[in-house]
Amino acid sequence: MSATSTQTEMRSGFLPDRIVHLHPTRLCNLACLHCYSESGPRQKTALDLDPLQQALPLLKAEGYNQISLSGGEPLMYPPLLPLVDGAHANGFRVTMITNGLFTPKRMDEVVSRLDGIAISFDGLAPAHNHLRGRADAFERSSATLARLADGGQPVAAAISLTRDAIPDLPELADHLVGLGAKALQVRPVALAGRARTMTEMPVYSAADQARLYLVVLALQEELGDQVRVHCDLAPARSLWQQRDAYAALLANCVQGTADQTNQMLADLVNPLVITETGSLKPIAYDFNSHFDVASLETLSSEQLAHYKQQNLADLQALIGRALAQLQGKQGLVDWFDYCARLSEENSGQQSRMNSGAKPGTGDGH
Amino acid sequence: MPKLTSKVLSQRLSTRLANFNLADDVINKLATRVLIDGLDIRRFDICIYGICIDYYTDRIPKLDGIFSKVDVARLEIFPYGIIDWDRFLIRVGYSVDELEGRAGGLGRR
Repeated sequence: MSATSTQTEMRSGFLPDRIVHLHPTRLCNLACLHCYSESGPRQKTALDLDPLQQALPLLKAEGYNQISLSGGEPLMYPPLLPLVDGAHANGFRVTMITNGLFTPKRMDEVVSRLDGIAISFDGLAPAHNHLRGRADAFERSSATLARLADGGQPVAAAISLTRDAIPDLPELADHLVGLGAKALQVRPVALAGRARTMTEMPVYSAADQARLYLVVLALQEELGDQVRVHCDLAPARSLWQQRDAYAALLANCVQGTADQTNQMLADLVNPLVITETGSLKPIAYDFNSHFDVASLETLSSEQLAHYKQQNLADLQALIGRALAQLQGKQGLVDWFDYCARLSEENSGQQSRMNSGAKPGTGDGH
Repeated sequence: MPKLTSKVLSQRLSTRLANFNLADDVINKLATRVLIDGLDIRRFDICIYGICIDYYTDRIPKLDGIFSKVDVARLEIFPYGIIDWDRFLIRVGYSVDELEGRAGGLGRR
């Protein structure tokens, strides 16, 4: 059964595109203290290229239009070039986030085929190098950004900050824009993966979130229109006002009539995450496995139809509950991380509910 | 972009907000003040009142929602008129004594 959509013009989730976050490997030349995927030099798990290539036409047919490569370090995935070419051949835009430590030769042969690239930073040199476990990480990543920008590539910086690194942000932003960065995406470090074991990382308070958000607002003004500065934190009330972005997912909860079996997966699950073990997950790498969509090895349109018919209800209930909580919530929310944390709390509860409840009738819709 | 001197950098609003010299309660109050339901922030900068913000909205603005915010020192509303009939620019100046060093928010840490 092929999926159809009458809502391709609508937003799906709080994203501008319909995105597959692809983690082809957890192998990485670094083992960052805060890495949410716990990647590192000893993590050899990686996806086979064949099932990935076979999945691309189906993912495109399901409405996704962008592949965002992450990891691990994507440049350590040996068949990265045929993967990128295959994604383009299927009509995807392809972007990548890298730590920027690879040699120009390996970097350039990939970058020339990408539609966008971001280099990750965690603060000024002391904080960055400490978290990365490497004394020259900041210098080398900066040099890579400058070299790519000089070569005419539109390079962005993906900035993850621990609470204690917030004061670094203004000077870091100046440094990166001075090197040629065209966009800065700023977010708090997610309390996931290896970050959970960091004793030195204080959790963001509401005031810390507000501080980061206000700093980004001020930076956008100071840096001017030629640089886009984005913060992953958003006012809860503003997200609540944009809840129509989840209209397709929550349709049958609201109207009691819609059948999502024929709805494109990208209208329902965005972003879709593919892990290095072949799990297809909604929204975040560390989303509880109870909510998994499918497995790459056995992925088929029939399997996705079965997911929409049988298992989507749990995700509907969770997103509905998360949105409902926004209604009366003051302050700021890191939405996708918020949903991931909620998935941990709700997985057991939803299993119990589903044993005796009708699909799609979760509260909060 | 020209290299900033440390003095200029330290005087910028982003640095003053980032460096933890403003107490948490001041930051919380400031965030509560600047987030107004239904209004998108387009410009956020320091000014003689403390902080001035330009908001845009595609609906007729609800003034009670703005005046309910404390310490509004200035309010201007510009209809875009024939450029865009349904769009309004709302310019609000908030008094933020702490940013001028007149109150006790500085030097906490």
